[in-house]
Amino acid sequence: MNAATLLERLQAYLPVLLAGAAHTLLVSAVAIVAGFMLGAVLLGLSTARGGRGVLPALVSVYVSFFRGTPLLVQLLMVFYLPSAAGLELPPLAAAMAVMAANSAAFQCEILRAGLSAVPGGQVEAALAFGISPRQVFRYIQLPQVARAVWPAVVSEAIDVIKNSAIVSVIAVADLARGGRQIVAANFRPLEVYMTVGVAYLLMTAAVFAGGSWIARRMERASAASTRVVNRTAIRT
Amino acid sequence: MIDFTLLGELLPVFGQAALRTLVLVAVGMAGGLVLGFAMNAARETGVRALTALYWAYTTVWRGVPFLVHLFIVYFGLPSAGVRLDPFQAAALTLAVYSGAYFAEIFRACWQRIGRGQIEAARCMGLTRRQVFTHIACPQALRASLPLIANQAILVMKESALASVITYPELTMTAGKVVAEQFVYVEPYLLLALAYWALAVLINRLGGYLRRRVAL
Amino acid sequence: MDPNSSTRAGSAPVPMVSMRGVGKSFGSHRVLSGIDLDVQAGEVVSLIGPSGSGKTTLLRCMNFLEAYDEGEVWIRGALLGYRKTGAGLVPESDRGIAEVRSPVAMVFQQFNLWPHMTVLANVMAPLTLAKGMRPDRARAVAGEALARVGLSAKADALPGALSGGQQQRVGIARALAVQPEVMLLDEPTSALDPELVDEVLEVIKSLSSDGMTMVMVTHEMSFAAEVSDRVVFMEQGRIVAAGTPDRIIRRPDHPRLQAFLRPWFRRSLQGSAAAGAQA
Repeated sequence: MNAATLLERLQAYLPVLLAGAAHTLLVSAVAIVAGFMLGAVLLGLSTARGGRGVLPALVSVYVSFFRGTPLLVQLLMVFYLPSAAGLELPPLAAAMAVMAANSAAFQCEILRAGLSAVPGGQVEAALAFGISPRQVFRYIQLPQVARAVWPAVVSEAIDVIKNSAIVSVIAVADLARGGRQIVAANFRPLEVYMTVGVAYLLMTAAVFAGGSWIARRMERASAASTRVVNRTAIRT
Repeated sequence: MIDFTLLGELLPVFGQAALRTLVLVAVGMAGGLVLGFAMNAARETGVRALTALYWAYTTVWRGVPFLVHLFIVYFGLPSAGVRLDPFQAAALTLAVYSGAYFAEIFRACWQRIGRGQIEAARCMGLTRRQVFTHIACPQALRASLPLIANQAILVMKESALASVITYPELTMTAGKVVAEQFVYVEPYLLLALAYWALAVLINRLGGYLRRRVAL
Repeated sequence: MDPNSSTRAGSAPVPMVSMRGVGKSFGSHRVLSGIDLDVQAGEVVSLIGPSGSGKTTLLRCMNFLEAYDEGEVWIRGALLGYRKTGAGLVPESDRGIAEVRSPVAMVFQQFNLWPHMTVLANVMAPLTLAKGMRPDRARAVAGEALARVGLSAKADALPGALSGGQQQRVGIARALAVQPEVMLLDEPTSALDPELVDEVLEVIKSLSSDGMTMVMVTHEMSFAAEVSDRVVFMEQGRIVAAGTPDRIIRRPDHPRLQAFLRPWFRRSLQGSAAAGAQA
């Protein structure tokens, strides 16, 4: 393999791989954001009423299932079971839904840990001064939780990007599948898959770098201060 | 809706497949633990080149999806002259992949040991190696057990990808049943339950270990 | 000794805080029994006693941070935490509780400042969020409170950049800003390094001489003796003795009180002996 033709080959791979990477990033972005929102909802459900009752138990089962079974199995189930019942789900939509549901389980636990990191005394003091529970959540807990969970959320985002490679198994045209396509055509698996690997590495490294930069910016006094000081008085 | 007799028939097949999954996980973890421990020990020596090696290893192996690692090993290596069967490829890839995670776990546990203890030991004349063996290892290994148990679940989940390179573990077996018998619900149900049960089991084991070795 | 006899002449007819037969259990563990206590306007009452005597729980019953199980607590003539119905006492809504306890402000042992907000924002938050005050007015009130405790210069700092003593003074400013009728102080100096204690005690002393009604749980015996109108000694959830600082701290006649105060006596005698030797 002389260098010139390797470069030419790499250039030839570019369109397929870029298209695949775009799909990977799309699926990942949807999964991370939807997973975060769903995870927050799940946490809300499981802490309502002091954590007793049916809803918290259901959330517990959900989290246990999605964290305890492989993503591949979850994808296979969502992709093939409905078709057995006669429903045809578009692969991309199915993939995004499953990955979001999967990520939600992890993000729920991340948020739970973040919430418990806010010392109870601060909440107690706020309540004692007559600040309503909703205000306590918005101005006291949320800013601190956001800072506490950020590193774990960045880690989860990186995991989602890596997990997204699995959707190639159910025929989503992502980066991994792009690699397989090329290999099927030119029979150079080592070179192609290593290129794919480098592509993933670049993506995860970029997320990590971006996440660290945001973490550093969060070190400064948060917007909560300014909001409290400047807000127009609204009774809740 | 669910054919329970079919479920019953599938149990032995899935049982065998579960065993194969467990073997794969066990071998992968054993390799990963050894590799991870060695990498962290290398980093602890303080030698610049070894520390750089550590960071390169953990960054690259954790930054690329397991599936891609698997493809490189199973499909890519043959063109470089190394031909592995599905089990060997899966086990090797699992070992090196999980090794990166175990290395980070060990690093975290080693760094949690108070500097004061190490200083005291060095003052009293213990060599770096003695500090490592007699002061750091006992405490750090104890602390790492719950994290290792957690990682075991992750290794088990990644093992499902071995199905893609045709190792007959749980996921591939379920796929076979689906393809051969045209039933979907029972095999996939059993598949999900099998992994879930294993995960719960490993969690319990982890909790038990944590209590037993608590200082 | 009647715990409710006040040493201030011309006490207000309605006590600031009134407790009758108050009791509290945590599960099977009885923490408070049979508490009868009145705090009149302008009084400074100190609660002293060994660990586990229930002093902090008693204090926290005064702003319903702990829900008492028996008896009644009245704040300026309003029943706290419960409503009287035909069927007896019924738990009050959050709104009702907030209303009754709004004249009460608390200073916490662990300060409980909000670390992500500036000092000024910490002091303003109860005003803008709880009382719906306009921000410019809140800023002015908060500024005054900070000036009162001597921390105007630190208004834009984050709590993390302040010493323990300064943080507690911010806590006091935060309590002052809501213009309370009663201040509850839960071991305000217990979490402080020794050299930082004095600055906080100075502020508390100046508040008391301004006529603020205060109930304070403290281990600082000399300070309690100096600043209090009444001292209440508790053991195992009951009020064992109460009276003037002189009767309770300086010249206790109760055997259990004497046992409790012995270490303090020894230390203060050594202190005065050392001071005498240096003179």
